Amino acid sequence: MMFTPRLELFDMAELRYAHAINRALAECMEEDSTVFVFGEDVADAGGPFGVTRGLASRFGEDRIRDTPISEATMANAAVGAALTGLRPVLEIMFMDFMTLTMDAVVNQAAKARYMFGGQTSVPMVVRTPHGGGINAGPQHSQCLEAWFAHIPGLKVLCPSNPADAYGLLKSAITDPDPVIFVENKALYAMKGEVPEEAASIEIGKALQVRKGEDLSIVTYGATVHTVKRAAEILADSGIEADVLDLRSIQPWDESAVLASLRKTHRLLIVHEAVEAFGVGAEIAARMGDIGFDELDAPISRLGAPFVPVPFAPSLEQQYQPGADDIVAAARNLCA
Amino acid sequence: MSELNDLLMPKLGLTMTEGLLSEWCVSPGDAVSEGDVIFIVETDKVATEVSAQAGGTIGELLVQEGETVSVGAVVARWTGPGQGFTTDQPDEGGAPADGASMSSKEKHAAKSADISESMPEPQGVVSSSVRVVATPLARRLAHEHGVDMVGITGSGPRGRIKAEDVRAVVSRSDQARSAFLEQAAERTPAGGVVQTMARRMVEAKQTVPHFYLATEVEVTELMGLRERLNDNDDAPKLTINHFIIAAVASALRAMPEQNRIWDNGDIVQFQSVDVGVAVSTEKGLMAPVLRDLDSCSLDDIALRATDLVDRTREGQATRDDLQGGAITISNAGMFNVTYMTPIINPPQSAILGIGSVRELFRPATDGTPVLHREMGVVLAGDHRLHDGASGLRFLNRVIELLQDPYRLLRGV
Amino acid sequence: MSHQMNDELLDMYRQMVTIRMVELRLSRLFADGEVPGFIHLSLGQEAVAAGAGSVLRSDDTVASTHRGHGHALSKGIAIDDFFAELMAREEGICRGRGGSMHVANLSLGMLGANAIVGASIPIALGSALAHQLRKTDSVAVAFFGDGAMAEGVFHESLNLAALWQLPLLFLCENNGWAEFSPTHKQFIAPLDKLAAAFDIPHAKADGNDVMAVQSAVAKCVDGIRAGGGPQVLECMTHRWRGHYEGDPQKYRPSEELEGLEDHDPIPRFEAALVEKGIEANVLESIRADVDAAIEAAVEKARAGNSPEWERARNDVYTQVGAV
Repeated sequence: MMFTPRLELFDMAELRYAHAINRALAECMEEDSTVFVFGEDVADAGGPFGVTRGLASRFGEDRIRDTPISEATMANAAVGAALTGLRPVLEIMFMDFMTLTMDAVVNQAAKARYMFGGQTSVPMVVRTPHGGGINAGPQHSQCLEAWFAHIPGLKVLCPSNPADAYGLLKSAITDPDPVIFVENKALYAMKGEVPEEAASIEIGKALQVRKGEDLSIVTYGATVHTVKRAAEILADSGIEADVLDLRSIQPWDESAVLASLRKTHRLLIVHEAVEAFGVGAEIAARMGDIGFDELDAPISRLGAPFVPVPFAPSLEQQYQPGADDIVAAARNLCA
Repeated sequence: MSELNDLLMPKLGLTMTEGLLSEWCVSPGDAVSEGDVIFIVETDKVATEVSAQAGGTIGELLVQEGETVSVGAVVARWTGPGQGFTTDQPDEGGAPADGASMSSKEKHAAKSADISESMPEPQGVVSSSVRVVATPLARRLAHEHGVDMVGITGSGPRGRIKAEDVRAVVSRSDQARSAFLEQAAERTPAGGVVQTMARRMVEAKQTVPHFYLATEVEVTELMGLRERLNDNDDAPKLTINHFIIAAVASALRAMPEQNRIWDNGDIVQFQSVDVGVAVSTEKGLMAPVLRDLDSCSLDDIALRATDLVDRTREGQATRDDLQGGAITISNAGMFNVTYMTPIINPPQSAILGIGSVRELFRPATDGTPVLHREMGVVLAGDHRLHDGASGLRFLNRVIELLQDPYRLLRGV
Repeated sequence: MSHQMNDELLDMYRQMVTIRMVELRLSRLFADGEVPGFIHLSLGQEAVAAGAGSVLRSDDTVASTHRGHGHALSKGIAIDDFFAELMAREEGICRGRGGSMHVANLSLGMLGANAIVGASIPIALGSALAHQLRKTDSVAVAFFGDGAMAEGVFHESLNLAALWQLPLLFLCENNGWAEFSPTHKQFIAPLDKLAAAFDIPHAKADGNDVMAVQSAVAKCVDGIRAGGGPQVLECMTHRWRGHYEGDPQKYRPSEELEGLEDHDPIPRFEAALVEKGIEANVLESIRADVDAAIEAAVEKARAGNSPEWERARNDVYTQVGAV
């Protein structure tokens, strides 16, 4: 290399996704003594992805608490603790394990405020990573966010970059209602700017990550980066995509999507989760209703096929929607 | 509230495709009984009261007063039966409440005998039922710019019309008129009645293949006769138009092949002798019809025509007055015009345009000038039914009667 | 015998009679269609709720079950709020959105009845964790029935409570019936052995003797408050009615049903009170008071308003700025 950049210039503002989450947790715990973090191997081990590394030594093992492998009880305990005045942040190691927490999340956390007539709220966060791409197989790769978005009372967030991970987690922890905070295993190592002055990000607001006039592509999570690559390929052939990163899946930014559709008149929704009965289906149906007269092409969805996430690297590569698939779907819409 | 059914915009005549809902006579929550007027529909012809055929409670009103909607469109919801409508017209009394279930065969029979119906036509019967494949945005743009999508070639998958295809059409016509329109001082959206008339005229001129036969009628005898007859103060005052009506009626009686209309591939033969008369009114041109002129005397024609024209000008014409017949007489004689070339009023198959009476010299057989009084006549015919030869036979018959008007004294 | 002690006993009597009369009234209201949905009555089990309630402080927390009327009332829920909720009124403690299986009063530390069998246990565990993290001496109580012993979260919770030495009382109301099945057909291990496996102290009390329950709960709670970690208390009692109101209990042997009233905790406590020198007419007047209060609560609920749909429709998330 002819030119060696001065590393500290980058380190000043750049953080890895995992470190951005770590910083948000630390700041929230610093600011509010009722915040505590618990989950499998989060204390001594710092979590399987190192997200909570260093927090136990700073805040003590009471507030950064390792738990046994008892997801159902931990999630219910989060509800009980939240009802008793704390702000628990529970880590569930893989989103696939959320299946074990469903009573706590769906019947208890989501309902308590409502079914108790608004007497209380349930200020808890469940952090959990979804997504494939690391050959983790059918029970360590699923994207189940649509399940939770379907339940009235839950909020579901899915940040695509370090700054959003930081800002949205701060919002999630201070939010009075239960939040499912969906991270992505493939993003933990991603570096990005998290300005010192970065603050919390309003839940429910999408971010326009690329401007274009020819079609709208709505996505979230790690797929945002795949879509951005696809958008550059499309631009080479004269198709300019308007790309929205939802960031928040429930509630989702209906008005931002509609505004983009009003501009481009074509809509493609892309996510890594299975396409059938997914987040894209909801957005497509809603836009087909309130945005019908804006449409100059059918609304299209692109998600994973209706099949479990396979293990073999060659299979998994086929499974995940890639930039080429997005380009093809977009060209179809612009035909 | 119990289960709600749809209240539809009824089809109030053979040619009605849409109606202007001019007034609601009920509000949501009102209970109505059989026969209560629910709303008023204005077509290009007349205002019609639509009444309930059964009792029920009105739910949501889905159409604003002043809005024009297609026949069969849902205008409101109510607890009464779905689609059971009658109008205030007596000829509707026989329509069954579940008229929607009438078979198409029965419908056909009803059509030739009585051209009024309360129910919307099934899709297949509408003549302009070409399915346009277009995106919602393209449809919206076409509607906003008044572009007919039937002629547009779609550039999308499987020929789907996209917004850009509509924009291209709009832009071409915009370029043509933009210079002029920029200078236009004021722009007002046309009212519902005007819109409807405009649409009907475009449809008539574009879909009915017109042919024209123009000639003159020598009316010296006719004017003399009229003057003498009008000397009698006890008899009704006769106008030239009354003679023309009598002549046309008489010719129709003699030539039933002219008393026919084209209806979506069918030829409808009328039994009675009916003649339409174009009347200029405040709301625009209307064409009420004199019915059953067979064996009618000239005086009767005068009385009935005067009454019909007066009622039409006062806005009192009924829907019945405004439909039927195969031909209309459009007399522009009072406007100082030599020939008037009119547009057929669908579903009729002909229209006779009458010009002003002119005095001019014609050479006699020896070449000496003779003063003539002549009236220009133009017969417009529907070439799907008629042609030049049959049209001329008819027109000549009318001319003969007008040039030898004493024959009209015997009545039609 | 001191007046203070007598007053405490009479308070407990009042509580037990309240639970009994409230549920009998509910049974009639249910039959008359004034209480919609379905309800699970704890008739016969009043001593457990009243005995435990007499020991707990207002900063202690309880999580309850689908058969939770007694727990809610003994934790202090006002009967006006209670009847309004079960009769589906806007004035109900949960604005008519929860009903019998979800009565809660968070300000009293009543974390809610719960329609999911066993869910009260890990929720109470979370509450105990909160007490521990806040370094208070509050105690959390998980009420559960013998049927919940077969739920996985119970076993996870025994482990966690012991592991973290949480201030949690596992209070099992063992009425011998898990929904429609006898406990012996549902669960193989006795609860004392299960507790022993996790090194948690286990005690057993006669759940039909309110004073026995009171002293057993007091002993457990004192130990827990002192930092001794979790305990299991098993109160043996009887369920008089079916799993839910209207359940004909065809599955129960008739001889078992016939003998139930012999175990009635109320006459038993009344006899004990009389023995302690309390006049029968004092008890009579307490019952009359309770009866009047219940009738007033029912009338008040009847005069209440139906919940507003608009409000219920738009209250999915906490409104920013709302209390």
